[in-house]
Amino acid sequence: MAVSQRKRRFAAGSNAFLMSAVMIAVACVGYLLVDLHRIRYDLSADQGSVLLADTRTKLALLDRDGEPVVVTAFSGQRGKKETYFKDRALQDLIDELDFASQVVEVHFVDLDKDRLTAEKLGVTDYSTVVVQRGQARVDIKDRELFRRVGTGNDRRLDFLGEQAVARAFAQLTADNHRIVYTLVGHGELDPQKSDLGGLSEVAAVLQQDDYELKKLDFVRQTDFPVPRVPDDAAAVAVLRPRVPIPPLEEDLLLAYLAGGGSLLIAVDPDSPVPGILGRLGVAIPSGRVLDKMLVFPYPDRPVPRYKGHVITRDLAEDNLVTVVSSAAPVQPSVPPMEGIRSSIVLETSREGWIDRGGEVRSGQGVYEPDIDGAGPVSMAVALEVSSDSGLVSRGNARVLVSGDSEVFTNGLLAEGPGNASFVLNSFRWLVRDDDRISVVGKPAAVRRLAISVEDIEQIRWLALGMGPILVLLLGAGVWAARRGR
Amino acid sequence: MSTVFTIWKKEMRVYAVNPTAYAFLAVFLFLSGLFFFLGITLTGEASLRVLASNLAIVELFILPMLTMRHFAEERRQGTLEMLLTSPISPFALVLGKWLASVTLCGLMFLGTAILPAILAYYGDPDWGVVASTYLGLLLAAAAFCAAGLFSSSLLDDQLAAGLLGIVFLLPFWLVSRAEALVGDELAERVRPFGVLNHLDSFGRGIVDSADVYYFAALAFCFLFLTYRALESRRWR
Repeated sequence: MAVSQRKRRFAAGSNAFLMSAVMIAVACVGYLLVDLHRIRYDLSADQGSVLLADTRTKLALLDRDGEPVVVTAFSGQRGKKETYFKDRALQDLIDELDFASQVVEVHFVDLDKDRLTAEKLGVTDYSTVVVQRGQARVDIKDRELFRRVGTGNDRRLDFLGEQAVARAFAQLTADNHRIVYTLVGHGELDPQKSDLGGLSEVAAVLQQDDYELKKLDFVRQTDFPVPRVPDDAAAVAVLRPRVPIPPLEEDLLLAYLAGGGSLLIAVDPDSPVPGILGRLGVAIPSGRVLDKMLVFPYPDRPVPRYKGHVITRDLAEDNLVTVVSSAAPVQPSVPPMEGIRSSIVLETSREGWIDRGGEVRSGQGVYEPDIDGAGPVSMAVALEVSSDSGLVSRGNARVLVSGDSEVFTNGLLAEGPGNASFVLNSFRWLVRDDDRISVVGKPAAVRRLAISVEDIEQIRWLALGMGPILVLLLGAGVWAARRGR
Repeated sequence: MSTVFTIWKKEMRVYAVNPTAYAFLAVFLFLSGLFFFLGITLTGEASLRVLASNLAIVELFILPMLTMRHFAEERRQGTLEMLLTSPISPFALVLGKWLASVTLCGLMFLGTAILPAILAYYGDPDWGVVASTYLGLLLAAAAFCAAGLFSSSLLDDQLAAGLLGIVFLLPFWLVSRAEALVGDELAERVRPFGVLNHLDSFGRGIVDSADVYYFAALAFCFLFLTYRALESRRWR
């Protein structure tokens, strides 16, 4: 009897043990599966907790190449007021990089404790990030990772680390340094000017992908016996010439296109139209583009629609608006010229029109069928020119024609949520980095509390005292009531 | 399901009249307030992130103490045998008690609502991040309550059960800080088991299916073991 009871216990015990072990094993295997196919929701207000689409695109390129990349982030200086935020921002970033990529290996190093790693990498500054790929290496300093903005109570620290690391990834990707020449000498936008009409901030955005903006002045060119577009040009930009470009210089641009080059031409409603556009079958009719849907409070800024071109594909998906200023209409020839494939990039709604003056109501133009052109009106057109056109002798040329030049300036770069991406993607398309086309983001800012010394006392009482005292009083009340029963 | 609800109601009633529950609640609120206060004075940020990581550790010590009496007390009073021989299934018993503990945790977090209110008064907190932080804390609490129930189902002595619950949970905390204890390579392998690693994303506003699954699986495993421990009384 005792033996059979022991047997029964053993059988039941073994069964219970095995079942428990199997359950735990199933739970662990389940975790591995879920870990492999993670689904993540970012509940933060600006979706700033996960990597930007642009960084993810670059990581995907690195993953595709398969060569390991090591990101080592060094801690901030202990005791400094902003160190907590800096360290946390860097840690969050490398955690996300680690999560998003197969080839990126991340380390967070306490500079004060782990001197060996610091000495090995030759790092002496706090809050530094070192990105290594093979023998190549990019060091990102504190000033590139963080930016102080605002004054007084509005003073805050922005984290630019993700953009800086993404830029480092681009720099480490073999052979990606591209030079984009901007034509000068005819009153064009200046790549070095830092005012609203300049291109200095645009140049900084382009640098994220290791694109360099250089001036191209045919008149003062001394490098070659005969003026020409340099061989290292990945693209040439003609941004709002104030005076007509001489035919000789237009021929030089056409010669560059003939070799499979890329050209960006941006004009405004009042600027002269380069003759090269006629050769490409693009017309810039007189008037300016207006739409019933305008960017508040401007009377001349139509809200453009994206037309499915690769430049704006991700912008359309993320529903990010690009703000354009007073734009000229850009009309590709219908039917298209032989060997030229044109695609509309930006367009007005059906309620848009080409405004040629006339009546104005409440400061805004009104559509008048007699003088105005009916919408939808295209504001930017992309052309792919093949040898069938007779204009290109080698490969395919790419041309982007924009009816608004301001969209490429510092002034509008941060005006709309999609502007920086539109500009960068335009250049990516022109230099044929199509697989990099994505959405760039804005720096992450910390949400600060505005508290004075007096407030601290109040908060101390509210946080530490009020809750526990109320609960203790409630407990005492319940206890007293039960005791009295 | 109605038996689960009956058990839940009974347990909630016991919590409501138990001075120990109020004492634990007061301690929990005091510690929450303390970590919140330290967090905002040190960082000046309108965020609950410092609070969240510290509160998870507080939960790890407090919740086994809060759940220690569930089965240990029943066993000490001799009511456990009665319950197990009644038509109430062990499954309903475990689920009802666990849901009551989780509900109490929910009420505890509700008591900390003053903290995000302070953030809103003095700053502009990210409400999505606040919500995900609380979700993470509640999921962790659910898992810790299950561990507490399991330890309570094993021992007759309440205090010993509470301490055993902490012992069960400590490794899950320690592996989150494994780098300091073992080499980087081993730390990398055991990190997925760490509670704090899985709470970190919630503190940033990210709800990750792997983190949700981790806490759900942890709770499920401990509840299953509790069920098995109770059922073993039938054949032991």
